[in-house]
Amino acid sequence: MARARSSISHRITVLVLATTVTALALSAIGLVAYDLHAYQQQWTRSLDLQAEILARASAPALAFNDPQTAQKDLSIIRVREAVLVAAIYTDDGRLFASYVRPGQTADGIPEHPQADGFRITGDQIAVFHRVVESGEPLGTIYIRATYLPWSRLGDYLTILGVVMVASLVLAALILGWLQRGITAPILEVAGVARRVMGQRDYSVRARKTTDDEIGELVDAFNGMLAEVERRTEALHDADRRKDEFLATLAHELRNPLAPIRNAVQILRTPGSPPDMSQRALEMMERQLRQMVRLVDDLLDVSRITTGRLGVQRTPFDVREAVAGAVEMTRPFIASRSHAFEVEVDPQPLMVDGDSTRLAQVIGNLLNNAAKYTEPGGRISLTVAREDRDAVIRVADNGVGIAPESLAGIFDMFVQVGQSPGRVQTGLGVGLTLVRQLVELHGGTVTARSDGLGKGSEFAVRLPLAGEGASRPDREAGGNEPPVPRRRVLVADDNVDFAASLCAVLEAQGHDVRAVHDGVDALAAMQAFLPEFAFLDLGMPKLHGYELARRLRRDPRTAGCFIVALTGWGREDDRHRAKEAGFDTHLVKPVDPARIEEILRGESPPMPPRPKALAPR
Amino acid sequence: MTPEPRSRIPPPRAALARRAAAALAALALACAWLPQARADQPTDARVKAAFLFKFCGYIDWKGAGDKSKPLVIGVMGNDDVAAELAAIVPGRNVNGRPVAARRLKPSDSLDGIGMLFIGAGTDSPARVADRAEKKGVLVVSEGEDGLLTGSAINFVIDNDRVGFEVSLPAAERSGHDISARLLAVARRVLRDGA
Repeated sequence: MARARSSISHRITVLVLATTVTALALSAIGLVAYDLHAYQQQWTRSLDLQAEILARASAPALAFNDPQTAQKDLSIIRVREAVLVAAIYTDDGRLFASYVRPGQTADGIPEHPQADGFRITGDQIAVFHRVVESGEPLGTIYIRATYLPWSRLGDYLTILGVVMVASLVLAALILGWLQRGITAPILEVAGVARRVMGQRDYSVRARKTTDDEIGELVDAFNGMLAEVERRTEALHDADRRKDEFLATLAHELRNPLAPIRNAVQILRTPGSPPDMSQRALEMMERQLRQMVRLVDDLLDVSRITTGRLGVQRTPFDVREAVAGAVEMTRPFIASRSHAFEVEVDPQPLMVDGDSTRLAQVIGNLLNNAAKYTEPGGRISLTVAREDRDAVIRVADNGVGIAPESLAGIFDMFVQVGQSPGRVQTGLGVGLTLVRQLVELHGGTVTARSDGLGKGSEFAVRLPLAGEGASRPDREAGGNEPPVPRRRVLVADDNVDFAASLCAVLEAQGHDVRAVHDGVDALAAMQAFLPEFAFLDLGMPKLHGYELARRLRRDPRTAGCFIVALTGWGREDDRHRAKEAGFDTHLVKPVDPARIEEILRGESPPMPPRPKALAPR
Repeated sequence: MTPEPRSRIPPPRAALARRAAAALAALALACAWLPQARADQPTDARVKAAFLFKFCGYIDWKGAGDKSKPLVIGVMGNDDVAAELAAIVPGRNVNGRPVAARRLKPSDSLDGIGMLFIGAGTDSPARVADRAEKKGVLVVSEGEDGLLTGSAINFVIDNDRVGFEVSLPAAERSGHDISARLLAVARRVLRDGA
């Protein structure tokens, strides 16, 4: 602290005093030079005048050769104390009369006059002045006087020294007084900065005392401190939420494992009753479904966050998506003994977007409602048209949301009403995914609650696709005609995936073959001649694009409906797949419903360049 | 005013000899000093002639008419002075006015004369002085009792040196003022009632 203070104050002091001294010294030099010049001028003029007066006075004495009178005339010079000697010479160069100040010697009087003018020798100045009367030269006056510019200079320098010292003292005093206005705020900022760095305390602020540049600095400094403080807090907050999330995630992932292990144990036990085995299997399936949903949600959020998830915009009826979601969540709602009311607008509500994603949104909301309501609660779902929007409301009479939590409820990893003893826990990912998906559809989602224990209501608002643009109503509900038996080839180097897909398809009664590389796939295609082929794009030996091209060239396989399977749903992939000759494109994990649609022959042709909704 | 007793201090011989040598050596350059240098000891006549010429500069010539006309100094009864004056005046002037010298006899007309020197050899100087005074001519005389003849300025010899005395009433009668600066170097000045 002392070092900083001395440094800036010291530098300002040196600056000001150096300026003062320089200015004073320069003006002093100028003053002295001028004064010495003026002094000499004054002296010569004065001596000249003296000589002229003497010349006038002594002219008659010279003219009439009267040395006594000349002597008398000359002696008047004694009133000039500086004059040491004076003399009058006749016109023919003789010394005519002389005056010597008492104490001086007559030696200094020149024997003969010299040319008119001044001579300065040491500390004396001498002048010769011609006496002329009526144009007649009569003689010469000589005056010699003390000339002490140096003693005068000494006096001057003494005065200047005193003035300079006084000025410096005064300047230092004024400086000390004024400097406080400059250094004090700077030192205060420095002090605050030191405290911030030393104690990592970002809550301190520098006091603003002036309205000048320093004041601006103080403002900027405080602003930066506030920003740092805010970011530090945000960072801590994010960190804390991440830690909580990890803990929850581990817990959530581990939770289903115990029952599954138990079920495995039951199944392994020989002779366990069939109904128990059946319950064990159902339990396993339930637990697995929960885990898959959890992981799917996480993946979706991650895809949206990194901008990799686009939604396809195709017109669909919101009511269909709602019906799907209701079907999916009804068992869970029922398991918690909630009363469930569904009220749906009788008219179709067409919106542009991805019905599967929207079903996911509504399913999430319903799940939450069921989860955060004590068993035996009441859950209601309404789908209605409001102005130009389709509005889906999910309401419950559950735990509700505290007012202070409402704002952050859609943030990632935020969990509401979290307490260690709660049975129903979650990752805090669901609502984040809900908001992101809704926003991808150009809609909004809002939450409302009257407080803890008062229940909550979530409203999803989606813009309706073009006025009156509605598709003929297709009967909702599962009364679909059975899918005809198809010949299907599945090609994927992921053996497990291929096998599982085969199993699903075979279960539905189709004739299915599975291969695990491109060359095999080509051979199988030509031998087996399937109606439908699901081809992974990244297969060894022959990749999917080339395979599709060859299939299209071969008349035997050109008519096959080929579907690309890929882990990536990017625009580029879709485009390349279409160019290579694929009929459509599915992103893993594939939705069984989509496969069923395709096999039924209802799959819409791949849109020319499907326009993905940019993540907001 | 009583003149104080004075002593003349003759220049030392050696100094004079050196002066002469220096003057001769610088002959070409120091031509202004030549007149003084050529004579070792100026005669009384030469001094008086020089004084006569110099007096002109200290006199306020009233009613002396045309300034372009020369100021004429008349000389009577002293041929030496007349000769010396005639040698001095040519080409010189007083306050821009040329000066001329003229040798006169007592019977001569005084018309056009500004200053008249009545030498010791002049007959009945008082009468001449009276006549000159009436014509407005400033009279200069020489001799012990010169001022008694009615002259305004009178040469006297004091300690072998030429001096002069002044009578202000006489100068006033002639109608001219004598400069106070001249009075300062006069041996004696007669004023009213003196």
